[in-house]
Amino acid sequence: MPDLTPLTVPGELESLKAVREYVTDATSMAGLDKTLTNRLRLAVDEIVTNSIVHGYQESGQEGAIWIRARLDDEKLTVIVEDEGPYYDPTQHRIPSAEDLGQPLDTREIGGLGIYLAIRSIDEFRYERTATRNRNIFVVYRSAPARAE
Amino acid sequence: MAFECSLEMTPQGIAKITLSGELDASVAQEFRDKVDEAASQKAKRLVLLMAGLEYMASAGLRSLIFAKQKMGTGVDIYVVAAQEPILDTLTMTGFQHSVILMDTYDAATIEQL
Repeated sequence: MPDLTPLTVPGELESLKAVREYVTDATSMAGLDKTLTNRLRLAVDEIVTNSIVHGYQESGQEGAIWIRARLDDEKLTVIVEDEGPYYDPTQHRIPSAEDLGQPLDTREIGGLGIYLAIRSIDEFRYERTATRNRNIFVVYRSAPARAE
Repeated sequence: MAFECSLEMTPQGIAKITLSGELDASVAQEFRDKVDEAASQKAKRLVLLMAGLEYMASAGLRSLIFAKQKMGTGVDIYVVAAQEPILDTLTMTGFQHSVILMDTYDAATIEQL
């Protein structure tokens, strides 16, 4: 099964468009439908946005975003890495059902991006290598796999 | 498609913002600037025309929160003709309760203050 050629882009918000295009190339290769494509695209965008804003920008650091995709019979896996400070999205407080029911004028805004990312796809994992944050996104290719 | 947004104020004080392209964190400030402009002109209603908006990230959602807080509780926000992925995002995060969703531009409702 093929891997798409990995992509490296500068860790800047202007790179988000290229990142999303890479994801849609990957979903196209995997034959995913429109809904799954949109959800994976959103999930990756949200996490990469956080890496850029909360990772690089807030620490005054510059760096790259590395993205690659792997396809097998069962699933499409997209792996995104940055070399910002340690940041595990799964440890961030995400909105509860009660938070999401709040009217907009009193709404807490933290964690929306991560919530969308994790809720949009089948599996999300975070790993830390010696120097990089690694965010792993998995979308199953068929409904039966998703139901297991 | 590149992000574009434009603001039109009607004589009755309805702010119509037309959004097109892709709304992500790199361009969300442009949207917020238009909301600021609408608020400074004391808009009584905010109408977001989204037929041409192909994509919206959480930066767009945060901008909606910003809009609501900036314009005050008395100002309704209409979201008109949002595409499927954007409706998906709005409902996943509970936003459908705080804005008025419309499939098409219903002038009778929107322009009646």
